[in-house]
Amino acid sequence: MSTQQAEPESQEAPEDPAMKGAESPAADEQTGGGMVDDHAEKRAELEGETVHIKVFRYDPEVEGKQEPRFDDFHVPFEKGMTVLDAVMYARDEYDSSLTFRHSCRQAVCGSDAFFVNGKQRLGCKTQISDLEQPVRIEPLPHQEVVKDLVVDMDHFYDQMHTVEPYFQDEDTPATEDLEEQRQTPENREKIKMSSRCIWCGACMSSCNIAAGDNEYLGPAAINKAYKFAMDDREDEQIKEHRLRILEQEHGVWRCQTQFSCTEVCPKDIPLTEHIQELKREAVKKNLKFW
Amino acid sequence: MTKAPSNGTDTTGDERRSTSHDPSTAGIENRIETEGDPGSGGDLEYEVVTTPVLVIGAGAAGARVAIELAESGVEPLVIGKRDHGDAHTTWAAGGVNAALGSLDPEDDWTIHAADTFNEGHHLNDPDAVELTTREMPDRIRELEAWGMPFDRTADGDVNQRYFGAQSYRRTCFVGDRTGEAMLETLIERAQALDVPYRENVMITRLLSDGERVDGAVGFDMETGEGLLFRTNHVVLAAGGFSALYHRHSSRDDENNGDGQALALEAGARLMDLEFVQFHPTGMVGDRYGEEWDGRLVTEAVRGEGGRLYNAAGERFMERYSPDQMELDARDVVARAIAREVREGRGTEDGGVSLDISHRDDQYVRDRLPSMVERFESLGVDITAEPMVVGPTAHYTMGGVDIDFRTGETGVGGLYAVGETVAGVHGANRLGGNSLAETVAIGKLVGDHVATVLTDADEDPAVTDSQRALAEREFEALRDLAASDGTVTPTELLEDLGDLLWDHAGILRDDAGLREGLAKLDALRERTADLRVEGDRTSKSFEYAVDLSASLTVAEAMLRAARERTESRGAHYRTDYPETADDWRVNLVLTAEPAGLSFGRRGVGDPSPAVRAALEADHQLDYHHLE
Repeated sequence: MSTQQAEPESQEAPEDPAMKGAESPAADEQTGGGMVDDHAEKRAELEGETVHIKVFRYDPEVEGKQEPRFDDFHVPFEKGMTVLDAVMYARDEYDSSLTFRHSCRQAVCGSDAFFVNGKQRLGCKTQISDLEQPVRIEPLPHQEVVKDLVVDMDHFYDQMHTVEPYFQDEDTPATEDLEEQRQTPENREKIKMSSRCIWCGACMSSCNIAAGDNEYLGPAAINKAYKFAMDDREDEQIKEHRLRILEQEHGVWRCQTQFSCTEVCPKDIPLTEHIQELKREAVKKNLKFW
Repeated sequence: MTKAPSNGTDTTGDERRSTSHDPSTAGIENRIETEGDPGSGGDLEYEVVTTPVLVIGAGAAGARVAIELAESGVEPLVIGKRDHGDAHTTWAAGGVNAALGSLDPEDDWTIHAADTFNEGHHLNDPDAVELTTREMPDRIRELEAWGMPFDRTADGDVNQRYFGAQSYRRTCFVGDRTGEAMLETLIERAQALDVPYRENVMITRLLSDGERVDGAVGFDMETGEGLLFRTNHVVLAAGGFSALYHRHSSRDDENNGDGQALALEAGARLMDLEFVQFHPTGMVGDRYGEEWDGRLVTEAVRGEGGRLYNAAGERFMERYSPDQMELDARDVVARAIAREVREGRGTEDGGVSLDISHRDDQYVRDRLPSMVERFESLGVDITAEPMVVGPTAHYTMGGVDIDFRTGETGVGGLYAVGETVAGVHGANRLGGNSLAETVAIGKLVGDHVATVLTDADEDPAVTDSQRALAEREFEALRDLAASDGTVTPTELLEDLGDLLWDHAGILRDDAGLREGLAKLDALRERTADLRVEGDRTSKSFEYAVDLSASLTVAEAMLRAARERTESRGAHYRTDYPETADDWRVNLVLTAEPAGLSFGRRGVGDPSPAVRAALEADHQLDYHHLE
């Protein structure tokens, strides 16, 4: 098992570290996602083989890494290996300085969204055998890169918090006054998909509008607001308050229905549809257009 | 999943408090640099944080305690080892029990309690069981008021599903991601109340004189910096220790006994450590890849009608439990599967088949979305083909011995809650009761701590002796990080996992347990040759810290298992296969200067109402499902 770490291919690296993922040539080459058709066949083929991954490297604080580059790693394939497994292997066996976020490894914590073969994907949910090689792994585009695959998520979280993502009943009723609230199965069904968001940021990263308008709330935050605004258990007044936040200049009306967010969402949330529905709600409530 | 903007920025801006919840500001003035002890080489910068209540653990139990404190006007500080919202609670899938009677109006809390005692083989703490089961309907209504998106019945009530060994449909759920949805709801509530938290913090020692706790020491896992938390009230909500086993359903770096070890070292009692729940249906690594070995296939698959088959296509539960079939107690089903595999009737991957494909595709997708999604990512369509499963270490019934009305541990200022404690589940846990315990008892503990707080607790002074204790710990951590032997913490933890799996697994006997203890001694000796690769922010260092807690708890577990010479619930001794009436006692242990010391304590009796429910002998009849 040799590292086979190739020379840095700096000619492939984009100039501006803050925007590197988006401007990488890979983004244009493989918008189809670089999927391999026959999963089982490909998996069988890879048994005993190594997988070639190219991982984006950048560290403003380390001399020699200030210039973005890609490092090549050849990782022994194992059944069930995900993109996250591959970068973890590269880190543990070849280069302990390789930095990325990860935690739960089962698509719940949302910390390992990367730009893989030109598409935003969750590292732990993407089988390496489903991808064209070499597998190119980059940080999420349109976010500032802190180091290697780690991007600054603060702005994303700020936008999420703008929509006041919690039930707005001021106080919990005293225990003796607690009553089960009814909710129709239809209403519960309506909000079900919206509640699956894991805050990974893939959607925001894929959105052209968010890339151009830093104040745009973005698909994740709007979806979060949808979850509450559409829940019949909250009263009308609060719903209107929510819609007011959403119909502001950088809210729902910015969306141009390109569906890129919906395409990359690892939880299959129909984000674009939710945004359109909120536009309709805002119209119904006679809230103003932008 | 819910996360805050970033560390520190989401803490409250209450200027009247001089606590330094925000590491970027208040911490700086408190930061000190020691002059460097002779020979220690300095480098002992650390941050001092004061808070009225420190909640260690940011899962459901910790969050619920914090919410209750905040609702009572107390501002606690919650700390977690991971990013906020990324606690182990999110792995609880199938549901949370409450006798709401949405579908089966005959159900009530006394029957829920009776089922819990039966599954726990009557070693449960009656207070713990009754407080949990009686409070749960209200706790569900409360979660609902905070927006938890429960599945609904056609009438709009909270829907309930069957779960193993429960007399009625009692398990409330959000698809098969109930824990995730519950934690998200709790965190949303905590954020609405501006509860301060700090993520990526590992606690390595409680400041204790054996009688009273007055703080906690640890480090920031992102910067490696030492942290001294000065507080008069510490709530341990740090999970269990099932991840010590080779095959387990937790993450490798969680549920490794740190909560129990911290409590024991601080002078608290541990109890029931011999009872480890092996969940019958873990994914089998040989089939799905090592990464997936032991990960849970939720009990909800069986609750929704999933059937178990051996390699010969025989529905073998007919032989072990003709009435309750796949939905018998977890220990029964786990032992049945282990036996099928051991006797050569397992699949070629060393498991058995779990099949839900006879149900309508869309039904499976609606009820088990996470399972469908996970197996799909592995190229397996569970609506059409079976899964390969086998037992996996899943939950530890044992833990810190507390008074369930208050959370008190017997050490002043130290409270515990959630999987960290023992008592609700006795010798085996009823599925759906762990999430229930976190919120039912979490509320009571938060409520109690709020009532005992005084003004003096608001901003306690840091004494020289506390600093000295903390600095000694920081030095120890620094020395640990500098370990340059030849064996890594990961190697030792893996060997420990194998040891426990082999010697304290589903089947135990005296010879095996003795051998396990001997191997544990040998393993402990190898820690002298530890090699830590990386600094205090590295995974290697984190595992090195875990190792010490894990060894402590592993020894306690092996010794407790050896001590209990009977079989009861999850503890099965092949040399003592019967349940013995005179063993209806809890094994309680403390750390003495000479080592661990065991005592036996009788178990109290349930209240008359629950005794009546027990006598009525309610039972799930599996064949109603079909």
